[in-house]
Amino acid sequence: MKSAHWNRSVGRRNILKAGAAIGALQVASPFIIQARGEATVKIGMVDPLTGILSALAQSEVEGAKYAVAEVNGKGGILGRQVELLVEDSANDVGTGVQKTRKLIDRDQVDVIFGDVNSGIAYAMSQVTNEKKVFHIVPGGHTDPITGTDCKWNVFRICNTTSMDAAAITPELVKKFGKKWFFITPDYAYGHTLQDAFIKNLKKAGGTYEGDMLPINTSDFSATLIKAKAYQPNVLLNNMGGLAQIDCMKQFTQFGMGKSMGLGGALYELESIKSVPADAQAGWWVMEWWWNQPNVPHVADFVAGMRKATGKTPSARHWFGYVAVHSVRLGADKAKSLAGPKLSVAMEGLELPPDVALQPGKTFYRAGDHELMPNIFVGEVHPPQGNPDNVFTASALVPGEQAAGTVEDTGCKMTHPAA
Amino acid sequence: MLQLVLYNVTNGLIIGAFYVLMALGLSLILNLSNVINFAHGNFLALGGYIAFVISPYTGFWGALLLSPLVAALFGFIIERLMIRRVYGRDPVYSLLLTFGLAFIIQDVCRYIWGPNGLPLGIPEVMAQPLSANLFFITWYRIFMVAIVIIAVAGLFAFLRFSRVGMRIRAGTLDLDTVAALGVNVRLLRSFNFALGSLLAGLSGVLAAGQIGLNPNMGDDLLMPSFIAIIVGGVGSLTGTLLGGLLIGVAAAVTTVFYPSASEAVIYVIMAVVLLLRPRGLLGEEGMMT
Repeated sequence: MKSAHWNRSVGRRNILKAGAAIGALQVASPFIIQARGEATVKIGMVDPLTGILSALAQSEVEGAKYAVAEVNGKGGILGRQVELLVEDSANDVGTGVQKTRKLIDRDQVDVIFGDVNSGIAYAMSQVTNEKKVFHIVPGGHTDPITGTDCKWNVFRICNTTSMDAAAITPELVKKFGKKWFFITPDYAYGHTLQDAFIKNLKKAGGTYEGDMLPINTSDFSATLIKAKAYQPNVLLNNMGGLAQIDCMKQFTQFGMGKSMGLGGALYELESIKSVPADAQAGWWVMEWWWNQPNVPHVADFVAGMRKATGKTPSARHWFGYVAVHSVRLGADKAKSLAGPKLSVAMEGLELPPDVALQPGKTFYRAGDHELMPNIFVGEVHPPQGNPDNVFTASALVPGEQAAGTVEDTGCKMTHPAA
Repeated sequence: MLQLVLYNVTNGLIIGAFYVLMALGLSLILNLSNVINFAHGNFLALGGYIAFVISPYTGFWGALLLSPLVAALFGFIIERLMIRRVYGRDPVYSLLLTFGLAFIIQDVCRYIWGPNGLPLGIPEVMAQPLSANLFFITWYRIFMVAIVIIAVAGLFAFLRFSRVGMRIRAGTLDLDTVAALGVNVRLLRSFNFALGSLLAGLSGVLAAGQIGLNPNMGDDLLMPSFIAIIVGGVGSLTGTLLGGLLIGVAAAVTTVFYPSASEAVIYVIMAVVLLLRPRGLLGEEGMMT
């Protein structure tokens, strides 16, 4: 029997309450909003600064901050200094939506960026559309954002999952074969990515099996056992962030690279640098790559980012950077930050070379508001020379080629009445 | 299919062994101090990060020995400075305190070591699988299970045969009487909290060798630890051991048939146990309120 003097009994009910409160741990975020200013251009950025995608989110925020400093140094946007207000979505849809509403209603931001998490980005787009606030999705890949649920106020920088799948599938089929096993996160991004891969694989006459796992899975041994039993030509690791890292490590630890190839859509620089050398392998796409020696302005950008952050910039840094400059370019063209005018100005907008930072034409397609950059297809490997030189591109696939037509995306854009 | 299921049962036992280590530390603290330590997962992360810092100087083996001790010291200090202030109060106070502590530790880890994953190197030979057929059993996983067995056996032996262990066991039943018999209950509680933190720190080093380090690594392991305690029975360390193994196996086998539910299944098990046997598999009577 518990003694009354020393203890208040905890009991089973309190433990259950505690369990429910642990769920709140995933939602609550103590991150602080940056200082306000008057008459500034306010950009609200919602990203999962805590959680399994935090490393990717931090890179996007760093890229945006670097761009804000650059823009402010040259007079700002429409003659006004830019202020970046960053909020943590904690990788939770409810929190992301709440923070978006707060930035719009309370902080009166002019523009919204976010989220790395496709599900949150998608939910945010409903809010920004309702509030008629211009919204750029720097790094949430799920197709409907600029596809079946495209909205006049929403633009996207990163590729769609369809674009990534279309770009890498021919290479994987050529290198490894047509029998695939998918390990995919069970949320918006994973579903559309796997669907896109299956569509492309079937066109090539391939077969597949796979598992959809919770986004924050850390132990993949059970799924890898299934994969081994299936004996695919290649295993596609569609997980993201820390989950992808864990999967890569376990794939390598189990020696599965000896019996099957490895590849997928995204294997980002942040993740690659977090794994041992033998897990730095496979065939993937990069949405931007820092090592482009013959492309103007890239070296300056890389040097500037290294000085500012101490890191070699990744695609995520580039997303944040492009997002801020896109607002500047669009506002310059529209002479306004009002959502409808900014949206019209952004349609068809081509990024200048010092923002695009890659060869060819990079522009926002008018029909679906999707940025059309190059897709770098290649192989990840242990560092060669430079510790960040972990990827060698074998092909640059034009984004518009991988994306297909606007009709293919299912986007039917309608603009608000003037 | 049978082979696949058997493989996953084996795999589940390996995963479950890890949950056991986490849950035992949590259960120790809960049983004696009546504190639900929300920060237990973050003590795990701390143990891993301490190992990351010292392993260049001590090697993996030195880090394995020292990091849990540092985590235990940290737990001792935290108990002395913070936790003991909420003893005797409504349990909500300890919930809120450890909840806040969890955030603080996580953010400190993120501030010091960044949000990116960090690797903890393990001896090369341990990274190899047992065989081509038993590819999912690496020597490191066998080593993990061995450490868990030694730690659990050591804990049970300590509680059964040592004087301090007997006092801890007696204190979980009737702390008033233990105090009346002249035992320094304050010191006992501090020691017990440190012991629980040591187990969390040990879990952290083992986890770091398997999945690497990140500031959130403890969060994903905290809920299974709670569920292991509830399923096994509050107040019973043996029950916690059974609970951990059960949910590990359940999650692994569910992946064979319905992977999306591999996380949800442990909550289903918890719900079923609560409905059919609310005190848990081996829980004590009187712990139902």
